Amino acid sequence: MNRMIRLTVNGESREVEVPTYRTLLDCLRYDLGLTGSKEGCGVGVCGACTVLLDGKMVSSCIALAVFADGRDVTTVEGLAEDERLHPVQQAFMDFGGFQCGICTPGQVVAAKALLDETPHPGDAEIREWMLGNLCRCTGYYKILESVRAAAERSRA
Amino acid sequence: MAAHRVVGHTIGRVDGVDKVSGRARYSADITLPGLVWGKTLRSPLPHARIVRIDTSKAKACPGVLAVLTARDLPDVLVGRRMFDMPLLARDRVRFIGEKVAVVAAIDPDLAEEALAMIDVEYEDWPAVFDPVAAIEPGAPLVHTDPGAYEGAPAERPHPNVQSVLRFRLGDVEKGFAEADLVFEHTFRTQLAHHGYLEPHAGVVAMDADGRVQVWASNKMPFRLKELLSHALRLPQEKIRVNLTPIGGDFGGKGSLMDLPLAYHLARVTGRPVKMTMRYAEELQAGNPRHPGVITLATGVTRDGRIVARRVRALYNSGAYAAFKPAPSVNLGGASMGAGVYRIPNLSIESLCVYTNAIPCGHARSPGEPQMVFAEESHMDMVANELSLDPVEFRRKNLLRDGDVLPNGHHLEHVRAAETLDAALRASRWSEPKPGPWIGRGLAMGHRHIGVGFTNAQVRLETKGTVTLVIALPDTGTGAHLVLRQVVAEVLGLSIDEVDVELATTDAFATDSGVGGSRVTHTGGRAAYHAAEKLKELIRAEAAKLGVPEASLAAIAQAAAADGRKLEATHFYDAKSHAAVTSFTAQVAEVAVDPTTGQVTVRRFTTAHDAGTIINPIGHQGQIEGGLIQGLGYALMEELGTEDGRISTLSLGDFKLPTMQDIPPLTTVIVEDPVGPGPFNAKAIGESSISPVAPAIANAVADACGVRIVDLPITAEKVFGALRQKEQRS
Repeated sequence: MNRMIRLTVNGESREVEVPTYRTLLDCLRYDLGLTGSKEGCGVGVCGACTVLLDGKMVSSCIALAVFADGRDVTTVEGLAEDERLHPVQQAFMDFGGFQCGICTPGQVVAAKALLDETPHPGDAEIREWMLGNLCRCTGYYKILESVRAAAERSRA
Repeated sequence: MAAHRVVGHTIGRVDGVDKVSGRARYSADITLPGLVWGKTLRSPLPHARIVRIDTSKAKACPGVLAVLTARDLPDVLVGRRMFDMPLLARDRVRFIGEKVAVVAAIDPDLAEEALAMIDVEYEDWPAVFDPVAAIEPGAPLVHTDPGAYEGAPAERPHPNVQSVLRFRLGDVEKGFAEADLVFEHTFRTQLAHHGYLEPHAGVVAMDADGRVQVWASNKMPFRLKELLSHALRLPQEKIRVNLTPIGGDFGGKGSLMDLPLAYHLARVTGRPVKMTMRYAEELQAGNPRHPGVITLATGVTRDGRIVARRVRALYNSGAYAAFKPAPSVNLGGASMGAGVYRIPNLSIESLCVYTNAIPCGHARSPGEPQMVFAEESHMDMVANELSLDPVEFRRKNLLRDGDVLPNGHHLEHVRAAETLDAALRASRWSEPKPGPWIGRGLAMGHRHIGVGFTNAQVRLETKGTVTLVIALPDTGTGAHLVLRQVVAEVLGLSIDEVDVELATTDAFATDSGVGGSRVTHTGGRAAYHAAEKLKELIRAEAAKLGVPEASLAAIAQAAAADGRKLEATHFYDAKSHAAVTSFTAQVAEVAVDPTTGQVTVRRFTTAHDAGTIINPIGHQGQIEGGLIQGLGYALMEELGTEDGRISTLSLGDFKLPTMQDIPPLTTVIVEDPVGPGPFNAKAIGESSISPVAPAIANAVADACGVRIVDLPITAEKVFGALRQKEQRS
């Protein structure tokens, strides 16, 4: 069964007909062509598909597209403003917060959500918040440093 | 040492903006007009005869364009070195997860629904899962005649043996006869997936010229082209591999996986086909790290000199040898049975064994985390038996200049002792431990600097910048940036004046791609020499122009006006390993919770004998990433199996370290610029992973007196061992 849904994605109003079983991740990737969000584990554990739904972090691989009907979605593609990278994205660049980059869209969206909620987190808060975003390349040290730096820069 | 302008400085990644903004297009992100989806049906049984496959219901599904079984495909076998794996199981399945049918549909969800409608009747056969049982007389045979496969090694002591790899030094019998004491220990290591977060993905399409276009998460595009040519019975010129970013490799992204099936679906449907594996499929049928059973016997003199060692490793390779790329069809890490020590009389034997389990492949420093865990645990256990300090026992036996490795290479510039000292100092090894149930453990390793062959082309643009053309994927290491730095350094340019252009497999004849800690060496040297050649061309052109201070733009424009391009290509081929290697020494400080057995790593020290570091942030990233993989391998990662069935089929059950699991880390670099890479660089990608597990195991033994000989070191195992120890005393 298909359903028409209307959602705001990165500030743009979109209308799309989806099968009711379609995940939000597949809807973003296949129906809307936004391939920035990635499928890693597919069961809501690794965080590569992290997006913001009405400003709250969700794993889009285990949320249904119809669940986003009438709501506001922010993906990694929506973080930069006018080609200017979000401070979190810039910090990941400057501090080596990524290697292969497959988890990075989820990492930067999660870090943005953290800083929206807690602009100046301590290391313990960063570790607690980010534990749902797996990374197999960096060993996390440089991600921790990147998030810390993004928070410090916004303080300056 | 000459100061470098660009080399040695931390500089932003070539692919940075694309990767942090979601613009980078990985294989699973590629889309083409008319693209359809392929999905595979896998065997639920470990060993069975396929009696019948009924695909009629699946074929009748709306939106399903094709359903193929082995009957619809040419009878070919695939592999990376030994060709023993069918594209789809033909008459017989050999492991749970083996592909038996493939579907193409207009939507991925429909394709998965159609799989459920394929009816397969099996006749169950006896299976064997344990490598020790598999090579006993009368064990069920996984293959009828493995010696007949293309690329099969000749030696086969049992029909279930894939390959035997041996290393020998001196006379081991004589050595043991000279020993005062002999100690023998056996270790077991677990089955573990690489944990890259990008499951295998690929797109195959036929273009208007009848060529096969491939986009794939594969780190060796030229080898992929050769292997596809073999599998598809097509000339290599008919195939083009297009490079995409790779979402993590760690040794796992060098196989064909579903690409031949995607080709056949594309051929039958006339549509581009995308195939992506679900993570459950990765865990069930990827190409994970081999589990091993490893026995070491070491003969020593009473004062702690090693005079002989015999090592036997038995690796459970699963149902096929196809995923192993080395000519030996074995794991080169077996040579680490000698550790970082001078062992005059040595015999190492490594057997890869067929069972009805998931076929294993290469994983970051193939065979080494297994062997180094066994070897470095064994060193502490022998030291303990001799009542020697583990540091002193190691020191007495460390490799020195002129010593020979098991593979016959004579070593120069051996920095084993310096690296050990650096780790001991930084970890405050000799200071008193801060409390009870806290222990320190040491382990060492070394890793060769990879060899292979790579192309680089550099071109002076009329705007005065230089373009570096390569066909080498970046698996995430930042290799493209390293090569760009090398070119900028040679030509005296800033990093922004060098662009990287990624070519396809049409650009060069061949290239060994990424793997084996080779890229900085082979790619770096190719880029270095190509840039040197271009420098010569520029000099000659400037001389011709007669303007000594002419800008690069003016020089390029003058040449262009003459109808010439200023460009140079270099093919660098490093055939044999250099006489230098890179040493690692690590110290773990752990706390053991006596009530639960839980091990917490309180702090960790890693010391590396490095060459010239071209990109510090990338170099440190390799150390940290490898180290945390080693930590996961030591403490948590394990693919559980029950009679050949993987019981941890999600990343919720197969645990990888999270940001909460990382210990405070101290890194020490013992810089010794004598490597074979450009500007005397050495390798780093596979150095930090292997000693982590034995450092932790040795620390656990130091903390609470129990010795864990099988990985991972879980709370349950430590708790059980503590209980046993209590009951004994």
